[in-house]
Amino acid sequence: MIAVIKKELKGYFLSPIGYIFIGLFLIMMSLIFTSEILGYYKSNNFEYIFFSGATILTFVIPVITMRAFSEERKNGTEQLLMTSPLSLTRIVLAKFIAATIVVVITEICTLLYFAVLSYYSMPNITITLCTLLGFLLLAMSYISLGIFASSITENQIVAFILTVGLLIASWFLPEVNSIFDNFSLINIFSGFPYGQINIADTVTMISFTALCLILTIIVLQRRKSVQ
Amino acid sequence: MIKVENVTKKYGTFTAVDNISFKIEKGEIVGLLGANGAGKTTTMNMITGFIEQTDGKILIDDIDTLKRPKKTKRKIGYMPEGVPLYTDLTVKEFVTYMAEIKKVNRKEIKEKVEKVLKETGIEDVKNKLIKNLSRGYKQRVSLAGTLVNDPEILILDEPTVGLDPKQITEIRSLIKKFGQNHTVILSSHILSEVSQICDKVIIINKGKIIAVDTPKNLEERVSNDNSVYVTVEDKENKIDSIKDKIKNIKEVKLVEQNNDGTKKYMILGEKDKDLRKEIFEVFAKEDITIFEMKKADSTLEDAFMKLIEGGEK
Repeated sequence: MIAVIKKELKGYFLSPIGYIFIGLFLIMMSLIFTSEILGYYKSNNFEYIFFSGATILTFVIPVITMRAFSEERKNGTEQLLMTSPLSLTRIVLAKFIAATIVVVITEICTLLYFAVLSYYSMPNITITLCTLLGFLLLAMSYISLGIFASSITENQIVAFILTVGLLIASWFLPEVNSIFDNFSLINIFSGFPYGQINIADTVTMISFTALCLILTIIVLQRRKSVQ
Repeated sequence: MIKVENVTKKYGTFTAVDNISFKIEKGEIVGLLGANGAGKTTTMNMITGFIEQTDGKILIDDIDTLKRPKKTKRKIGYMPEGVPLYTDLTVKEFVTYMAEIKKVNRKEIKEKVEKVLKETGIEDVKNKLIKNLSRGYKQRVSLAGTLVNDPEILILDEPTVGLDPKQITEIRSLIKKFGQNHTVILSSHILSEVSQICDKVIIINKGKIIAVDTPKNLEERVSNDNSVYVTVEDKENKIDSIKDKIKNIKEVKLVEQNNDGTKKYMILGEKDKDLRKEIFEVFAKEDITIFEMKKADSTLEDAFMKLIEGGEK
């Protein structure tokens, strides 16, 4: 499994994908940081940028997940992977972990803003850690959905659009009816930057991630008998 | 040993492989032969565990591929059709990756990778990116990836497609070499290839097995015809009445009319009689000049066509 994680990470950083993801995300975060935190709020609330960050994440996560299975399928390399003694669960987990590592690297980069702020006055560390945790959980949910989308098509663009589409739909669901309040990942995340780690929210995000990964495994397993 | 028992694969209502059974002993080199779409790749994919059969059982050393896939997959090295590779990796990285996902012992990886790079003759390009290699080298890289964990069984899907004649000979001799201590299954639609490399041929047509035999036996099965090809200069068309002069001739058929005035005929004779001596003598008397005379060999090609035609009837 470690071999697959290593290979996936290599794939991200030998191709432009990884740099595009981190670069794009950081450019947008920097703009928000300058205009909102330094310009508008003039505060040391590091966590504020992550409200907008969550929105940006919707558009950049699919960049790193769209290739996960669709490219393997298109190039036929899927055959190499599926005929190896690795189980489907491990293969799916490996791809998930690799993408999560890319997000973790990005989060570490955002500490730069924290450093800038702490030059003026110390931001609240507890809230910062809480926000980063929530952001990671949110990213994991998005990644798992992205990987699922990429498992059902061999076209990367389709996988990308499908992921973005579903994520945007999840923003607006609560506006249709309050029943859907708990379906909006972004709403669930919004508690974390206030320093609240809500068990229900945490469990929802983790189980959403698990659900998408299990669905991916089922899709891949099912394909063996129908393809 | 590979045992395929009553295996069927259906895609919706279409039956790609229809109730096939065969057995492959340890150390055999077996060719799966059939036209495009006959079910060769499907059969191979089922043995490797890439897809699952709708019905039937596949046993590898008496282990069911559906029940204990991890175990059977370890025994098999599969080179899929069209040599899929991770083109962003270098040759060495790719082969190492293949060794890792095939769970080769960590301490042995380095040594095994070096060995297989040497065996397949790609040591000199090991630090090149795969995407920059020629087709022949890619084929070797794929083969190296297949061989790196020393599998007992090699399954090669159309291993020589898209190569130039020199590369084909090289890959064939590599396969022959590995066939000495591995069980090999290869698919092909090129008959001469199969007859050169394989001990046994399984002919598949429309998802059904129509023959399992050695290449030699298959040739013999259809070699009961006794015909001779002659190219002659025969200005007065005396050959039309040749049947009366040589009793053993059953039929004379014009095959080709060449630009230089010569004609090529196929002369069909009675069974088990060599006509060549008589043709030579009689034609000389009749003033028909022989430019070329050749006994027609029945080939695996004939066997294949006959069997397929027979199977369809």
